[in-house]
Amino acid sequence: MTETAFFLLAGLFLPLFPMSMVFNWLLGRTGNHLLRALLLLFWPQIGLLLLQNLAFQVPDWLLSLALATSALYAFRVLAIRDIGQWCGFLATSSWAMLWIPLHADMPVFHAQLYLLGFSVPLVLLHFLGTWLEQRFGAACTGLYGGLAESIPRFSMILVLVVLAIIATPLFPSFFIMIAMILQAMTAMPAVAVGIAVIWLLWSWAGAWLLQGLIVGIPGEERPPDLHAGAAWGYASILVLLITAGIVGTGLLS
Amino acid sequence: MEKIILIVPMIPLLSALLTQLFSARLGHESARISVFGSLLTFLFSVATLWYVLSSPGSHAVTLQNTPAILLLDPLSSLMATVIAGISLIVHVYSRRYMADEAGYCRFFILLDLMTTSLLVMVAAGDLLTLLIAWHLVGVVLYFLLGHNTRDKSAWRYAFWTKITYRLGDLPLVIAAVLLYQAYGTWSLPVIFEQVMAQPDAHQVLGMGLPDVVAALIAFSAYARSAQFLVHTWLPYTMSGPTPVSALMHAGIVNAGGFIINRFAPVFIQSSDVLHWVFIVGLFTAVIGSVLMLTQNDIKKSLGYSTMGQMGFMIMECGIGAFSLAIYHLIAHGLFKGTMFLGAGSVINGARRNDAVPKDDLYTFVVERKPARQRLPWLTMAAVTLAVPVFILVSAHWLISQDYFQKQSAVVLLFFGWITGAQLIFSTYKMGTQNMRRMVILAIISFAVVVLGYTLISHAFDLFLYPDPLFREQLYAAADIHIIWFDALIVLITLIIIFGWFITYLAGRDGGRKNRYASSLWLMFYALTSREFYLPHLYTLMTRRLLRLAERLNVWLRWI
Repeated sequence: MTETAFFLLAGLFLPLFPMSMVFNWLLGRTGNHLLRALLLLFWPQIGLLLLQNLAFQVPDWLLSLALATSALYAFRVLAIRDIGQWCGFLATSSWAMLWIPLHADMPVFHAQLYLLGFSVPLVLLHFLGTWLEQRFGAACTGLYGGLAESIPRFSMILVLVVLAIIATPLFPSFFIMIAMILQAMTAMPAVAVGIAVIWLLWSWAGAWLLQGLIVGIPGEERPPDLHAGAAWGYASILVLLITAGIVGTGLLS
Repeated sequence: MEKIILIVPMIPLLSALLTQLFSARLGHESARISVFGSLLTFLFSVATLWYVLSSPGSHAVTLQNTPAILLLDPLSSLMATVIAGISLIVHVYSRRYMADEAGYCRFFILLDLMTTSLLVMVAAGDLLTLLIAWHLVGVVLYFLLGHNTRDKSAWRYAFWTKITYRLGDLPLVIAAVLLYQAYGTWSLPVIFEQVMAQPDAHQVLGMGLPDVVAALIAFSAYARSAQFLVHTWLPYTMSGPTPVSALMHAGIVNAGGFIINRFAPVFIQSSDVLHWVFIVGLFTAVIGSVLMLTQNDIKKSLGYSTMGQMGFMIMECGIGAFSLAIYHLIAHGLFKGTMFLGAGSVINGARRNDAVPKDDLYTFVVERKPARQRLPWLTMAAVTLAVPVFILVSAHWLISQDYFQKQSAVVLLFFGWITGAQLIFSTYKMGTQNMRRMVILAIISFAVVVLGYTLISHAFDLFLYPDPLFREQLYAAADIHIIWFDALIVLITLIIIFGWFITYLAGRDGGRKNRYASSLWLMFYALTSREFYLPHLYTLMTRRLLRLAERLNVWLRWI
């Protein structure tokens, strides 16, 4: 009983439905964008810290719940237009999957790295969304198309960040997904197929988000583009992520 | 020397980086870097081919401090040369063609990235590298097809392509993971060696590992090569720039044939997968050709033509003629690439002077004039059925006397016979003033094509699969029970003869049709001209899914 309660508590931070709604509610209610970024970075790490002190084996039923949570949010994100919410749902979907390697007794340190691989691009997208909000008053898809033409530097960074989130090679999330499918295949092949389908939904959601922002005829008003320094900053983090991804391939062999 | 295979994909990658770096300073001129890079890539690719020809065998080159392996073998060197060659032509063509388009430098960067991904894909010697390249091809293609960021429809169909490609990526991922789990390595040569040595060593869900992996690889190939049910993206992606269409139809869509060839050792050990590959390929070839003939949009028609060709390529794999599929994809790639790139200047030239000779062919095709003179139908029937058989048998006999022992050879001969007979039959129906000359010309053309096809495909067989035992195993893996085989051949022959008989009757009755047949024909035409309603069905399914996601969000208060 205590064990179950403890796992459910951990499920608040490594989101499991319906506790996952707490994180998304909190993210939506937090006004300060720095605080939101911190939430995206550290919320799941609290869950891992809780699990670190737990000597129990992750039960099988929890694995199904984790996969269902991940699938639910991956599916729901298809209809999300607000970038902030999009980040929250994608975060929930990716973090929930962490239960799969934890079920396979993966060291917590590796899980922390996995979380960073998922969270860092989401934080970048969150900052890009905040930047859009400051320029246009809202960060929503379909409101103002044609960003590729009006603010090309911003669009290029946006495309790369979204690619990093939806687990495109050579970003760490790609190798994490492969590793998770590998870990799941040993115990439950059906779970591995489930992860693959969730990955497909992410790609769909990513493409939808990009098309709603960068494609179309730009409006009359041309806002100033992302500052070159900021673009270099984003690009440097993305290069670091790619380097981490390539180094991370060693973990797979 | 074998390290040259590392340089080949590095050049376009470097060229993409340099083009990006110098684009602000050089403007449109930075495209020269990209074109020069693609020229160098082609030269180095030719060098890899020359190296493999001079020192046969497979050479594995490991990238330092990573598990990545690149293979320098006949398949990779041949495919690299073809890809680099087509990429060079597309680069040169695009320099002027894209000059007035927005995002000129971005286009060349994406072209270079696509070339890199394709080159890594064909040379990948380990599963991880293969997965990375396979996935990246889809991603880069998505952005190339949506190059015009103002065109929402181009992006819509680019999305169709991306999602179909992602759908095809997943079986490959599962197959790679299964292989890694079973053999503890990502290296393809090591895995293939172990699969060949002990094919029954591993089971998945009660089935042999080679069966499961081969089926998954086949699914991946279907999505990439637009096989029936996962084909809708291909005819709709014509809104992208013409050079991208050329590259896609000439190179990218052929990846299905390549991946089946790469995993040939696994397919050899599988039991029934090749039969399914044959059925899917055959079905796609027929459906693609029918859809091609019934479209009134020339671009869609071209798309379906490629689908039909891809079906034929997959079907060739299904009968064990793996090397023939590679020859087919190269021949088709060059042909389609030429069509796409040459279409503009042909249309331009035709506007000034159509240069169409007003000969027998013109009067038959354009003016639809009835036949003036016909040879006796019995003579023509004999010629139609016998001459193709004679040409095909002689051509194959030149290569090998025991060729006819293989079922796959019989299937190919059968297809050749039908094609030849259909050619002569159509020539006969044309009703020219000089029928003898026309028929002789048709027969000579057919003989040249058959002889060329047979000799070149045989050379491909020897080059790609030099081990005769391996070649035998490939064909044997595709064999079915002899009774079933004979029964199928007889059945298909009867169907075709019946078709010809119906055509003959229709011609003899002067085109009069009964009402039932007419309505049936109209229904079939409506179905094919609307592409079996598949694009509509997929759009409807997508809308329903999105509405469901929206409803779920409302129920769950958007948190």
